[in-house]
Order: sequence, then structure tokens, then C-alpha cells
Amino acid sequence: MKGRKLLVFLAACVCLVLVGGAATAAPAKGGVLRMAVIDEPPTLDQHVVTSDLTTMIAQHIFEGLYTFNAKYAPVPLLVQSDEVKDGGKVVVLHLRDGVKFHNGKVMDAEDVLASLNRWGKFGARGPVLFGNLEKVEATGKLDITMTFKAPFAPWKNLLAFLNGGPVIYPKDVVATAEKKPIEQYIGTGPYKFAERNPGRYIKLVRFDDYASRTEPADGYAGKREALFDEIRFIPVPDVGTRVNGVKAGDYDYAEQILGDLFDSLKADDAVVTTVNQGATQGLMFFNSKTGPLKENFKLRRALQAAMNMEAVLRTAVGPKELWKASGSFMPDSTTWYSKSGVDAFSNGSAEKAKALAKEAGYAGEKITLMASTSYKFHHDSTMVLVKQLKDAGFNIDYQIYDWATLISKRADPAQWDIFFTHHGFVPDPVLYTFMSESYPGWWTTETKRALAKEFSATMDDAARKLVWDKIQALAYEEVPVIKTGDHFTYDIYSPKLDGLSASSLIWPKFWGVGFKATK
Amino acid sequence: MIAYICRRFLSMIPSLFLASVIVFSFIHFIPGDPAQVMLGDQATPERVQQLRESMGLDRPLYVQYAKWIGGVLRGDMGQSIFFHKPVLDVIADRAETSLLIAVFSMILIIVVGVPIGILSAVRCNSRLDQLFSGASMFFASIPTFWLGLNLMLLFAVTLKWLPTSGFPSIVESGDWSNLRYLVLPCITLAAPNSALIIRLTRSSMLDVARADYVKTAWAKGLSEGSVTMRHIFRNSLISVVSALGFTFVALLAGTVVTETVFSLPGVGRLVVESLLRRDYPTIQGVILIVAFVYMLVNLLVDLSFAILDPRIRYS
Repeated sequence: MKGRKLLVFLAACVCLVLVGGAATAAPAKGGVLRMAVIDEPPTLDQHVVTSDLTTMIAQHIFEGLYTFNAKYAPVPLLVQSDEVKDGGKVVVLHLRDGVKFHNGKVMDAEDVLASLNRWGKFGARGPVLFGNLEKVEATGKLDITMTFKAPFAPWKNLLAFLNGGPVIYPKDVVATAEKKPIEQYIGTGPYKFAERNPGRYIKLVRFDDYASRTEPADGYAGKREALFDEIRFIPVPDVGTRVNGVKAGDYDYAEQILGDLFDSLKADDAVVTTVNQGATQGLMFFNSKTGPLKENFKLRRALQAAMNMEAVLRTAVGPKELWKASGSFMPDSTTWYSKSGVDAFSNGSAEKAKALAKEAGYAGEKITLMASTSYKFHHDSTMVLVKQLKDAGFNIDYQIYDWATLISKRADPAQWDIFFTHHGFVPDPVLYTFMSESYPGWWTTETKRALAKEFSATMDDAARKLVWDKIQALAYEEVPVIKTGDHFTYDIYSPKLDGLSASSLIWPKFWGVGFKATK
Repeated sequence: MIAYICRRFLSMIPSLFLASVIVFSFIHFIPGDPAQVMLGDQATPERVQQLRESMGLDRPLYVQYAKWIGGVLRGDMGQSIFFHKPVLDVIADRAETSLLIAVFSMILIIVVGVPIGILSAVRCNSRLDQLFSGASMFFASIPTFWLGLNLMLLFAVTLKWLPTSGFPSIVESGDWSNLRYLVLPCITLAAPNSALIIRLTRSSMLDVARADYVKTAWAKGLSEGSVTMRHIFRNSLISVVSALGFTFVALLAGTVVTETVFSLPGVGRLVVESLLRRDYPTIQGVILIVAFVYMLVNLLVDLSFAILDPRIRYS
């Protein structure tokens, strides 16, 4: 009996310790988060802009119909449930009831319809979905029905991807904006827009009437709890200042720190490092409209054969933990990871390149390669690549511009043969820029067109993956674009913050995050 | 004098008009499209065109110029493409920081640079002069970003006496303690400029010291202080004041490195960032205002010559 009492007493003690421990482990409510960001965004309108900075801030204000869980699978956010009918041609979305906008209005199907229509007409990624839609209509107070011309598999991924994606605004906000970026930042998210002080900060405050989902937090999905009273996104363009600011306690979180500082910051107790798992990729686009690389796939393969991507990534990114010399376009953290064609990814063989170039009939014609100094890793990557290409006997005309000039010049196919850019993480390969026929590079071969069509129309996930394997293999054969590898940005934050994990999926998010509770 | 000032103001009109034409042409002829920059890398050509149309960028250049200059004459410099607010408001937001930086840096430059320059000239070739010369060469040579980051590391990160960066508005908050945010930037800006003023004051004074009227002053038996300050220093001030005038304008709009290092919302950063964003109205507005301020400061410097040297008369 005595032993049993002791056991009960011990069990009670353990429970108390666990409960007490859990209580002190939970982040506290209140306080102001000061986040040092690299720049300030031109607008927070998610429909029209694809900048990661805009999305990182805007995701706290606006929400879409779906979002991604930790496995990058699309799951409902503003939608309660959905029905897929007619073999994928008709999709009915049932919206959640009682979701309030920051202006107090309750969201309904009219708001969603107006937002979807604007996104489809003027949005950055909207035409990908709307090009396949026959019609979209409000079929009830909380029901939206999308009717596709043919089954269109990536619809849910497109609705879930916030970057340049279909966040939901109130109908009247949409009506006043149309093709201009919206100026009233009213959403349904856990934080609401309070103030933009140009050059100083963007201020968000907690939305007390937020209608959170009740499922456990999972990636961007599930419960969202705003703990900070206020979040300030402060533009701090110099990386040294961002680091010093967190160390000195002037900022709580700083994004996009230099790879060179990674090892020293990891060992520094004054800050915590967190790696963003949504890989960024360096991409070299080849001109398919005119010039020596037009339809000369063998010459393109010769150029690729000369490239050693490890050398590129080591120089441009730095520590090994921050890059992967992976030839798969989609990262290995996703189900889309593929080894098709990757043998040609990083041969780094000048001899092989010379032999292929000879077979391709290359006689030293000038190849114009454009890169930008506005992004350090663009410049650093191309410095190495140009050296490798010149060593393999290619006559490279290396032209450096600021980003605005480069994107202006690349619109004219007569001005370039190759340009360097980067691509952020996308949850569905259909969102890759090289899949678009209008993106500079203009990859429009018949084989690609047929495979792209098959890829969109295949509803079964496993079958889609097989089609993607074929597209990637074709990308290594026709070489419309060369990937230089995956690299991962990293951020630092104050040890006073609680609720942040060791890594973030794509953009750092601050719901469920607060300052550590004081005992 | 009044007639002279009026003539100078009138002469500013063609200069400003010319500046407006040059700036407008220059920024519109360099490649780049504000709509594309705003929408990002992945925007479709159709979407970019839609935004260009909504911003009026599809109209002929002469129409765009006429619209802009017509607005300027009515006191409207247009709408910032990036900030979506009137250009004058954007500049006014930044003017507070730039003006305070320029004024406080100038005070530091004058307080440090001029007395040390005088001392160096008076004690020419002494150990003290060599020390000041060496120090001024050092501060004139070091890059401002290096000095700024090191000051930040010492006073903000290690000693935690001052904030690392940013500048909350005093106008908005009414909190004058925000001036502490400007201490490190002003020291960073004042250090190389003080060094130059030290060198200039010293060399100007040594030049003047060789003049006949200075020899006469010594021969009259005037005190060292009187000869140094009334005869040498005052007459050497013309070149120093000219340099201070140019320095003031440079501090108003040309401190982009320091503003970047300390994340200050100033005019210098606004110009460079607007150029990278191809925010045409903002660049045009800032450059026109800076050109006007430059002419105004030039006029004030010229007028000050008449006070410093009674032989100069403006009529």
C-alpha cells in the first residue's frame, strides 16, 4: 500500500513537472517583434508580385483558400472542404463560415470570386490556372465552383501557393484596385496591416478576431496564433548591420545572412541560426528564338558539359551545409525529386565539352552571357561559369548589368544568348518559369508542349511524377535551362524568441512565435 | 546686393530647366522598366504591359515630360511608382534624416576640423602638426563603410551605448532622444570630411601667412592671436567656406554608403534605390530638388565671401 502511494506521488510529481515544463516552454503573448529585412517591398499585393520579401510579410495579413503542410502537400485554409467531380473537370469549394476580414466584414463566396477573377486576369500566376478554366462562379453563399476545360491536376497547388497567388481580399477592395496594385491591405490573416513608414518599417498588429483553424500546426497549415502585439519589418540593406543589430538586441530576427558568416554565427551564443529549406536555384536560360544556341541542342549540351557546379556553389554560396549540387529541378524534400537526366548535370569536363562543340559545328561564334550584380550570387556564380566555359574554348561575351537593365534586355532575343537568374522554391513543377512559353528563353518545342499538356491533364499523383521525370529528362536533352544547384538561405534570430523551428519551409512565419515566457 | 540675389535666382530657372531635361532624358533612356521591376522576374509580358499602361509609361516621352514638368510648375512632382504616394511626401519623409545628419555632421566637421587646422598651421612642422597630419591622412583614406561598421561593433554591439541602426522620426514622435541614432553616422561622416577641412585650413592659412599684409601685421607688433585670427585665418576662410558649402550639399544627398550601413532613411539611399527600381518620378524629383539646394548653397557661399572679404562687392 505504501509502495502504491509512493508510486502515485511520484506519478503526480512527474505530471506536475511535465505540465510546469510545458507551461514555461510555451511562448508568451505580447511584445514587438523587430525583423530586419533586406529591402522594402513595392507593394503587399500578393496577386501581382512574386517577390519572396512581399510574400514573407504578406502571409501574415492575407490568406489563400489552401496552404501547404510540412510535407508541401496542399491542405485547406479558408476552404472547409472540396469536391472533385466529372473526373477532375469540376471542382466545388466549400468555404469556412464566420471568417472575418480585418475590416470586420465576414468573408463569403462573392469576395472569393472577385479575388479569383482579379488574380486570373491580372495576377502573376493566375493565368496558369485561368488558362485552363472554362468558368468560375459563386454557387452559394459559401460555395465556389470551378469548371475546367479539361481535367487540370495542379489546381490545388496553384491555389495554395501564396507567392503571386490567389489570396482573398474583400470584394470592394478588389473592385477599386483592378489592374493597379491594391492599396488597402485587408485580409483574413492573424496579423493586420497597421502602417507603412517608407524607409523605416512596415507595421502589423495582432488581429484579435482572427478565425484560426483548429487542427494542430503543421507547416503553414493548422492553428495560427498571433502572439506578438506588433511586428515591424525594418529594411536593413547591409548584411553586417543586420547581424550586428541582432547581436546588439536592436532586432529580434534578421533574414538572408552571408554564407561566409555561417560557421561563426552558428558558434555564437548571441544568435540562433535557421536554414530555409525552400531551395533557391541558380538558372541559366538559353535563347531558343535566335542566335547560335537556337535549336542547337548539342551545342547547349557541350556548354553544360564544361560546367562544374560544385565549384560554382562553393564560390557563390559558401559552406557545404548551405548548398546541394543536385541536378533534380525539384528538391529532394519533395515527392517530385527525380534523377532523370541528371548524369549530365555537373561533368566539368573541358574535353567532353570541346568534343561535343565540334560535333555541334561550333566555330567560335560569340555567345553573349548576361548576368546581374544586383544579386551577389548571380555575379559570383557566373564569374566561375564564364571561366569554365572559356577554358573549354567557348567565346563568351560576358555582360554585367543591374537587374532592371538585365530584365529589360532579356525581353529582346537579339541581345543575348544566355542569361543568369534564380528561381525560388515552387511546390509544383508547373510553376517553373521554363515551363511557360512566354518566359524569356521561350522553350516551345513540340515534345515539351506535348509533355506539358500531359502533365497538366494527368490527375493521378504517381502518374504525374512519371510525366515530370520525362520532362526533366527532356530538359537535359534540349537544355532550355541549366540549373546550377540548390542553395539555402539562412536567417538569424535572438535566443529570446520561442516557437521558431530549426528550419523554415519557404518563408519564415511568425504565428505561433513569441518571446520566451519568463519564469 | 538685392539686385544681385534676384539675378542669381533668375539665372537658376534655365539651369533647373536644363537639369530637368537632362535628368528626365537620362533616366528614360537607360534600359529598365519600373513595371517589370515592380512585378518581378516572373511577370508575364501582358501583365507588365497592363501595369505600364496604368502608370502612363506607354505614352510618348515628350507627353510624359510635358505632364511631369507641368505638374512641377504647379508644385506637384508626381506619384512615386514604388511608394505609391506623392514624390514630395516621399522626399519630405527622407529630408528630416538627411537634414539632421548634414547639420550635425557639419557642426562636428567645423568644431573638429577648423581648430585643428588652425593649430596645425600655427605649429607648422611641429610634432603636433605631424600627429594631426598623420591622423587626418588616416581618416581621409579609410572607407566610410569600414569605419561605420567598426564604430557600430564597438559602441553598439560591444559596449551597447548606442543603437546599431535606424532612425525613428523626431518630427513624428517628438522624442529628441532619437538623436542618439545619429551619433555614429555623424561621426562616420564627419571623420573623413574633418580630415579634409584640417588639411585645407592648414594649407590655406600657410598660404596667407606668406602674404605681405601679414608681414606688415607682424611688423606692427600685433599679438600672435590677432595676426593669426584676424589677418591669416579670416583671409584663408574663403576656400574653407567654399569647401564647407560643397561638403554640406554632399552630406545632404551623397551619403548613400553611410545611410546603407546605418539603415538610415535618407535622401542618398532614396536616390540610389529609386534608380535601381527605376522609380522615375522619385529620381526626377529628388535630383531637381538637390540641384536647387546646390544652387542655393552656392549662392549663400558666394554671399558669405562679401562678408569675409570686404574687397568683394556684389552689385
